Amino acid sequence: MSMIETPLMRGLERVLDQSAFRHQVIAANLANVDTPGYRTRDVLPFAGEIEQAMAGDQPSFTPVAHEIRGLPERPDGNNVSADRESLLLAQNQLRFTVAVAFLKEQFHQISSAISGGSGS
Amino acid sequence: MNLFGMLELSGSALGAERQRAEVVASNMANVQTTRTAAGGPYRRQMVVFQAQRVPRFSLALAGLARENTAAVRVAAVVSDQRPPVMRFEPGHPDANAEGYVAYPQVDPVEEMTDLLGAVRAYELNASAVQATKNMINQSLDLLR
Repeated sequence: MSMIETPLMRGLERVLDQSAFRHQVIAANLANVDTPGYRTRDVLPFAGEIEQAMAGDQPSFTPVAHEIRGLPERPDGNNVSADRESLLLAQNQLRFTVAVAFLKEQFHQISSAISGGSGS
Repeated sequence: MNLFGMLELSGSALGAERQRAEVVASNMANVQTTRTAAGGPYRRQMVVFQAQRVPRFSLALAGLARENTAAVRVAAVVSDQRPPVMRFEPGHPDANAEGYVAYPQVDPVEEMTDLLGAVRAYELNASAVQATKNMINQSLDLLR
């Protein structure tokens, strides 16, 4: 760990990575809302993965999305729910915003320490 | 993780849905067309969507050949094979020997429903683009 890197930063960085990947998965689901036979995909136990990321054991995170079961299927074999996906999109975006806000705060603290608390 | 790749992903859907709306518009414009280059009345067109895996070079390099996200593309525009509607109009230049004219099998209700579906899906993907843009802006905000 270097001088200007706090343990919280690494965790937050992983949260950002995961949110970005999940955003990509949701965007793909939304893109295929009318594709016959397309199955909804998602990152499986998302909350658990964030805790793992914050614990900081894994050196890096591997992006894997799985098919989600139990969603009502349309006659054309597609099971993308626009409501579910737009809700998750908003939720995931908020998670990203929170992580960015915390990360900015960390940088401000360091910046404040460098300037001896006189300015930001 | 590439945030800009998501813009392309949502962009593929915007393009596909717009093409779907264009095909609907073309169907509605040709609701009375009895002459085409191929001969016979206009045939109703339909788009076929297909999920397309996006090969990502950086992931392949990292040994993650299994790419999870899929863009969408219009695989084909196919003709509706339902028989044309026959209407009795003996004075029409395209009438057959019995006085019937073959009109395209275009149902306005069907077309409007399809158009609404395309517009809603377009809006959905446009809001996904907006969300992606917000995330990129927030990341850039870290620099300030």
